Amino acid sequence: MLKAKNSVGVIFFPAFDWAISPSHPEREERLLYTQDQLREEGIFDIEDVVEYKPDIATREDVERTHFCIPDVERVITESHLISAGGAIKAGKLVFEKAEKKAFALVRPPGHHAMKVVHGNRGFCNINIEAMMNEYLREHHGQMRIAIVDTDCHHGDGTQDIYWHDPSTLYISIHQDGRTLYPGSGFTDEAGGPNALGRTINIPLPPQTSDEGFLYAIDNIVLPILEDFKPDLVVNSAGQDNHYTDPITNMSFSAQGYAKLNEKLNPDIAVLEGGYSIQGALPYVNLGIVLAMAGLDYGKVREPDYDPRAIAQDKRTTEYINRLADEVRDVYFNPPPRKGKVGEYEVRRKNIFYDTDMIRENQIETIMVCDDCAGVLKIETASSINDPSLCVEIPLDACDRCRSEGYRIFETGKRNATFKRCILMNRRDKEYLRT
Amino acid sequence: MLLGLDVGGTHTDVVIVGKGGIVASSKVTTHHDDLLSSINAAFENVLKDVAIEEIKRINLSTTLSTNAIVEEKVDKVGVLVSAGPGIDSSNYAIGSNFHIIDGSIDHRGTEIQPLDRKQLAKVIDQCVSNGIRLFSGVTKFSTRNPAHENLIKDQLDDRADFVTVGHLLAGQLNYPRRIATAYYNSAVWRLYNDFANAIEKSILGNGVKARINILKADGGTMPLAVSRLFPVETILSGPAASVMGIIALCDISEDSIILDIGGTTTDIAIFASGAPLIESEGISLTHHLTLVRALKTKSIGIGGDSVIRITNGKVAVGPERRGPAMADGGQEPTLVDALNFRTIDYGKREASISGIVELARKHSIKPEQLAEESVTYAVRKIREEVEEIVREINEKPVYTVHEILEGKTIEPTKLYVMGGPAEALSDLLRQEFNREVVVPKNFSIANAIGAALTKTTIDVELFADSEKRVLLIPNLNIEEEIPGSYTLEDAKVDAQKHLSAFMERLGYDVSENTSEIIEAVSFNMVGGFMTSGRNIRVKCQIKPGISKDYPVR
Repeated sequence: MLKAKNSVGVIFFPAFDWAISPSHPEREERLLYTQDQLREEGIFDIEDVVEYKPDIATREDVERTHFCIPDVERVITESHLISAGGAIKAGKLVFEKAEKKAFALVRPPGHHAMKVVHGNRGFCNINIEAMMNEYLREHHGQMRIAIVDTDCHHGDGTQDIYWHDPSTLYISIHQDGRTLYPGSGFTDEAGGPNALGRTINIPLPPQTSDEGFLYAIDNIVLPILEDFKPDLVVNSAGQDNHYTDPITNMSFSAQGYAKLNEKLNPDIAVLEGGYSIQGALPYVNLGIVLAMAGLDYGKVREPDYDPRAIAQDKRTTEYINRLADEVRDVYFNPPPRKGKVGEYEVRRKNIFYDTDMIRENQIETIMVCDDCAGVLKIETASSINDPSLCVEIPLDACDRCRSEGYRIFETGKRNATFKRCILMNRRDKEYLRT
Repeated sequence: MLLGLDVGGTHTDVVIVGKGGIVASSKVTTHHDDLLSSINAAFENVLKDVAIEEIKRINLSTTLSTNAIVEEKVDKVGVLVSAGPGIDSSNYAIGSNFHIIDGSIDHRGTEIQPLDRKQLAKVIDQCVSNGIRLFSGVTKFSTRNPAHENLIKDQLDDRADFVTVGHLLAGQLNYPRRIATAYYNSAVWRLYNDFANAIEKSILGNGVKARINILKADGGTMPLAVSRLFPVETILSGPAASVMGIIALCDISEDSIILDIGGTTTDIAIFASGAPLIESEGISLTHHLTLVRALKTKSIGIGGDSVIRITNGKVAVGPERRGPAMADGGQEPTLVDALNFRTIDYGKREASISGIVELARKHSIKPEQLAEESVTYAVRKIREEVEEIVREINEKPVYTVHEILEGKTIEPTKLYVMGGPAEALSDLLRQEFNREVVVPKNFSIANAIGAALTKTTIDVELFADSEKRVLLIPNLNIEEEIPGSYTLEDAKVDAQKHLSAFMERLGYDVSENTSEIIEAVSFNMVGGFMTSGRNIRVKCQIKPGISKDYPVR
């Protein structure tokens, strides 16, 4: 019998009875053929590859990660809690050393869900990786986490959540935002004033194939990870960069993804997007499970795989080589900080929720701080919700930022403009709202 | 009247049950190397005072296939497989004539690469010239498209005495298990059919004109004629007979734990709402995983004859059995001897007592303490293993939001205990588990009663792809064309229709069996933005159960 080199827990939750809508790519069938392939290969008969049920995330789990407007119940359904529960389970398995690695093969995805949530955007309601990270931090204390998001789309939700957090390194490899939703993820998006160089974007040109992705891993991601020294490496493993994916333009393959996983060596992988449900997902997921288990994936191949047909051209290779130098620099020589310690920096954002057709306006204010991630204030209003005030006191908040957080919250409560005020006090594990 | 015969490791038990209850029974020693003689002896004993014409049905179990596989006394088989990409097939090599043929079929059942006939022909020639006459053919995704397996069988033609094709074994997906199961099936085919011939001759020779069925590991039976084609289905049927016997002896309706405490092991089975649970993936034998359906049972190394040992001052029992209890003439004290010392009076009680006293003295503890701790250890170990198996059942992955939210968990409220030491341990078990413990009367022949009363079972998986216009029921060998408008309701009807037809044709008793649908799902396949078809899966079974109207309580 085959035996895994690394024990892997696979939380497989295909949500066969749930869809965004009957013909939406995020529908019941999405993981059906993946299940067929994994079952026929006998993947769970391999010694030390174990299948698990997801947990169900709780309201508290959501409230420590997101500000839900108007409230948790109205923007989340059970299917989202179970998907996040799958990621949380993966985190638990690895952190509590029940398994060496874990793969949450769950749906629906999460990386387009930002810190403030008014509804569904990019098929996501809650950010399942962030839910997992913050669950682990709530129960086990602060830790350094690196998220490497290899989904074809820029993970703007995850980027938003961790924009100001120097303890979380967010690296996204995606198809250039000039050519694909959500239209962001450029190299100059490098993090907030207290976390400069902790957001790293690698926008690749269309038709990049295995060679380009693996070059980016070898020359940008691995050197950065070596310097950052994370306690946990999480791969947001979206599979829509596959050469057969119907809504994107990249040329990645199952062999490429397996190799990427082997090089990156993540502790946890979480499924994000990927909508070529017959031609890609069964093979890519098989490749990922085998790579995580430390088993030979050399014969995993799509029926129509022809490496020569999908190879990238020379121009693409040269472009990526130049890009690598530029991006490495963002981490090792981050841009200079604007703003003085003890003062606020402001960002104004317009966010479009494509799935639910909501338009949101935000005024986001961060305290520039050398001692902690900084108290965060967000004033948010949207086409379906009156203005709300959201205040976050971070996990490792200094005393000054903590007092500021309370002051902002109390002031906000007296301000009639705000329909509701929400305080997320991570340091004292206190979650209040009006 | 119904006759049940169960071949066990130590004894062969036989019982005849009539409408008024148990009519006759007999217990003979099992001769491991001559199972036929044990069976014949048991028959002779029990048929003596019985009106032979009244026997309608004979259900018998055999350890023949299991023993042959475990002892590696099986025939050589040419194992011919084809898979294409994925996990390398060479990881699943079994037997000494394993050959991989080029060719591949994908998860939809689409042929990606045709089977290499030239390569196949060469391999067959090679096997045949090595004296091989038994073969198995298994290809990946054959349950979605059996074409390549059928091709292998066709090309073998009459150069093989027997070929097992994988898709006829089960509709389940699992290529590695399919390979192992098909191999075992061909490997025991000749041995088993010789045995079947002998049984038939002997039964007919006694003047009995009954249906003959063979017990399976899932607590059901199959007609002898079917067992000749699928002898692998006869493995590991032992624990199932006892479990079915308990159902006959007790009215079980709630979540329960069944314990059969034997000489070497205790077999644990779990019931959910009165029905035994099935091991969904299939049972394992000699470290090879198979597709053979079985009741979910667990065997642990605590039995009446488990030896008492003391390591670092700690008293433990088993898992070894180094001989019978001292009360039965053995050399070392066992669990039964500890029970003898404390409460019961079994066999040579003085031998038990002196054995316990002697062992206690050697380790400088009081004999009362040794006996007490041995028994406590045994009972606690049983509870721990039961808790583990229940936890495993409750943690089993499910795949719909509904099941995650509504899924029932098992909470056993009662224990049913059988086996030699059952009575003696019942109070302790009651304390340890804090639950009601029932020790049924007649438990000593529960296995033979179970064998007698158990019904035929069969399970099928129907797979329909309305985009490809195909319907498959792999283990019934059904492959049909369907219209693009085919629905889930159509599939449910077809599954039951084909199952009934199959059972009638192969001599299953359909009078007391109704089939039930245990799973029915339909997925829309979407191409572009239009629904291009439906992917339909239906699981249908005759579930294990016992013939009613035969009172044995």
